[in-house]
Amino acid sequence: MYELLDALINGRLGLGWPGWAVALLGHVAVATLLFLVAPVQMLFFTYYERRAIARMQDRIGPNRVGPEGIWQPIADGVKMFTKEDIVPAAADRYVHLLAPIVVVAPTMFMFAVVPWGPGMVPVDLNVGLLFFFAISSISAVGLMMAGWASNNKFALLGAMRAVAQMVSYEIPAVLSLIAIVMLTGTLSVVQIVAAQGGLVISTADLPGVPDVGLGWFIFTPVGLLACLCFFIAALAEGERTPFDIPEADSEIVAGYMTEYSGMKFGLFYLAQYVLNFLLCAITAVVFCGGWQGPGVGWLAAQGLSPANPDGSWVFNLFAGMLGVFYFLAKTYFFFFVMIWARGAFPRLRVDQLMDFGWKFLIPLTLVNVVSAAVWVGITRWGPEEGLDFTAQWSPLLRWGVAFALTMAINVVAYLTLARLYAAAQAARGRVDLEELVGSVPTSA
Amino acid sequence: MPSGCCALCIEMLKTEELQINIGPQHPSTHGVFRMIVTVDGETITDLKPVFGYLHRNHEQIAEQNTYLQNMPYTDRLDYFNSMANNHAYAMAVERLAGIEVPERAEYIRVLMVELTRILNHAGALGFLINDMGMWQTQLAFGMREREKILDLFEAASGARLMCNYFRFGGVARDLPPDFVPKLKELLVAMPAFVDELERLLRENEILMQRAEGIGILPRDLALAYSVTGPVLRGSGVPYDVRKAEPYSVYDRFNFDVPVGSVGDVYDRFLVRIEEMRQSKRIIEQIIEQLPDAQGGHINPKARQNVRPPVGDAYARIESPKGELGFYLVSDGSTRPYRYKVRAPSFINLTPLGDMCRGYKVADVVVILGSIDIVMGEVDR
Repeated sequence: MYELLDALINGRLGLGWPGWAVALLGHVAVATLLFLVAPVQMLFFTYYERRAIARMQDRIGPNRVGPEGIWQPIADGVKMFTKEDIVPAAADRYVHLLAPIVVVAPTMFMFAVVPWGPGMVPVDLNVGLLFFFAISSISAVGLMMAGWASNNKFALLGAMRAVAQMVSYEIPAVLSLIAIVMLTGTLSVVQIVAAQGGLVISTADLPGVPDVGLGWFIFTPVGLLACLCFFIAALAEGERTPFDIPEADSEIVAGYMTEYSGMKFGLFYLAQYVLNFLLCAITAVVFCGGWQGPGVGWLAAQGLSPANPDGSWVFNLFAGMLGVFYFLAKTYFFFFVMIWARGAFPRLRVDQLMDFGWKFLIPLTLVNVVSAAVWVGITRWGPEEGLDFTAQWSPLLRWGVAFALTMAINVVAYLTLARLYAAAQAARGRVDLEELVGSVPTSA
Repeated sequence: MPSGCCALCIEMLKTEELQINIGPQHPSTHGVFRMIVTVDGETITDLKPVFGYLHRNHEQIAEQNTYLQNMPYTDRLDYFNSMANNHAYAMAVERLAGIEVPERAEYIRVLMVELTRILNHAGALGFLINDMGMWQTQLAFGMREREKILDLFEAASGARLMCNYFRFGGVARDLPPDFVPKLKELLVAMPAFVDELERLLRENEILMQRAEGIGILPRDLALAYSVTGPVLRGSGVPYDVRKAEPYSVYDRFNFDVPVGSVGDVYDRFLVRIEEMRQSKRIIEQIIEQLPDAQGGHINPKARQNVRPPVGDAYARIESPKGELGFYLVSDGSTRPYRYKVRAPSFINLTPLGDMCRGYKVADVVVILGSIDIVMGEVDR
């Protein structure tokens, strides 16, 4: 961004701005763009979800406001703004006001590290993934604030559920990302995307592979399992069915949002959909190549860059557009899976959710980390690390052996854990009733 | 038992119990029903059902009306199953006044009540899964099936929900000529829907986890609370008024009474699915036997503004929700001296506290959904 603006302002227009002004302008422009894009994405997501789920339920969905109901989210937004903002009399006014802000702000920060296209990343942090998850955890504080400040028992129950769920499911989410971090050796989201060129086999594993932008990690056993585990954890993080327990409408009304109305409620809603978008985006970026796809790499190579000063900016433009298209297509696909799950699954109970996270997902992701280590050892290590025998293998053989080994480890781990988990679930009868009977107060 | 430091920690962590009001305004209490729930964390230690928010003096008002005026009024009890309510009330008045019902009218009545059973269960199972958190999908499918049956009701009675179709001595109108062909079409499509519903339950891991072993109502307790209908049969008691005391023409049909074994939500679910199949079986037999039935749709000699002799009568039917009974006392005037409804929803709801104790907050709504209540009938 800096180079582009510098070339435009100081090069073409010859205004002679100092570097800090150019950088400031660039950051302000990007931040403004993102703050516009995020709510628009959220608006479109609500529409997309309502229409898609209506199709699944043999209905039509919103189709009154504008062509095919496309302006429905705008109408809903206007409604949110015009609603009375009610603060319960017994609520803690300031915490009640602060909670939605604490929930929304981190989700906006998280946009900072998501690459939209080749070279189109707001900030290329070298610890991008870490930043993403560190920031996302902050909203848990906001949820607890909302639940506590509302002075409502449903809200409190919802907030407790939300925090327990977010804290538990961050572990499998991060563990499944660690496998990818081990494969790429970097926490930078941009470099993780760059490592996914190739054709089924990544160029990082087999240098001779034609680079058509299809070397996604999801094509490897490690990446596939990590992707599935991460996506399940993302469903829990984003409070989506079957893990929408914190706001289970049929149980605790609306969870921590119960006492919120008007735009404060709208902010929670916004935060939730933006978070869902980001979780889908990060799934697409880390496991499915982000903007990588056939054509983007070639277009970007033809474009204007320090390595290719004769290139035309038209190619840059097309590469960017195609990259953003691929990125959004993948993101929307994952969001569609979220909608699909919402239309097809009942919700788990809170204790079943915890069991599933701690007893199934975390061990599985831990095994996957071992698989990732095996993969790295076989494809990357050589005589320096003391693996002399792999040095004589061709890269393709190394890739094949790594593929077979990690596949075997993951399949065996999955089947074993699934059986153990099913047995543990079957053994659980009625919830420790015998212990409880003593403590039951006799009703008057 | 943990000892030393651990025991001390647990002692210090001793938490308070929280009392939550679920209802009367709550998304999944199926109306204005209130539960005072005492929870220890998420586990229920006590639950008290509170009724009466929809009380509208039904029985007292009915005593001010003539007998026929009460017929549309019974529709409003269990607004899902107006035909079944009509049937029980018509039977009670007919017993009181000694009115004969022609054979054909009996067949039409049974046909309507069995269709009602199918539509009730389709809706009830949809609501149950909705309470589990499957956002309206199954409910939408259930409602779609229900609409098809409501179309038939509309063709026969002119109304979809509040049918007011029954009269003393028969039914208000004969079936329209295109009714039976439409019914046959419906029956062809029905098994696919029921199978789909069952496949959903048998193969969905989450649904199984939420339903199996939840809300167990043991056989003895069910009998002690005089629970009836699918809830009782789910607990393993093969009691069905249609078999125990065959009324109308039910003795002419072959059908089975499905029973569960454990008495959990899962069993109630399965019993309802099987009842839909059995109702379909009954309707098929009705279609076969209907052309040979004697008489018209109503006894032409039956007076509608009845003035029954002094006495009392009780009539009960197997409504989709359980045993529905009407007890009438006549003082010889045109209005009932006493009018009493034995509402299955109300009686099935009373063991809710015992069914929920020891489960989680999330299970309460599922257990409530599996009882299948309609507040119009609970609070009369």
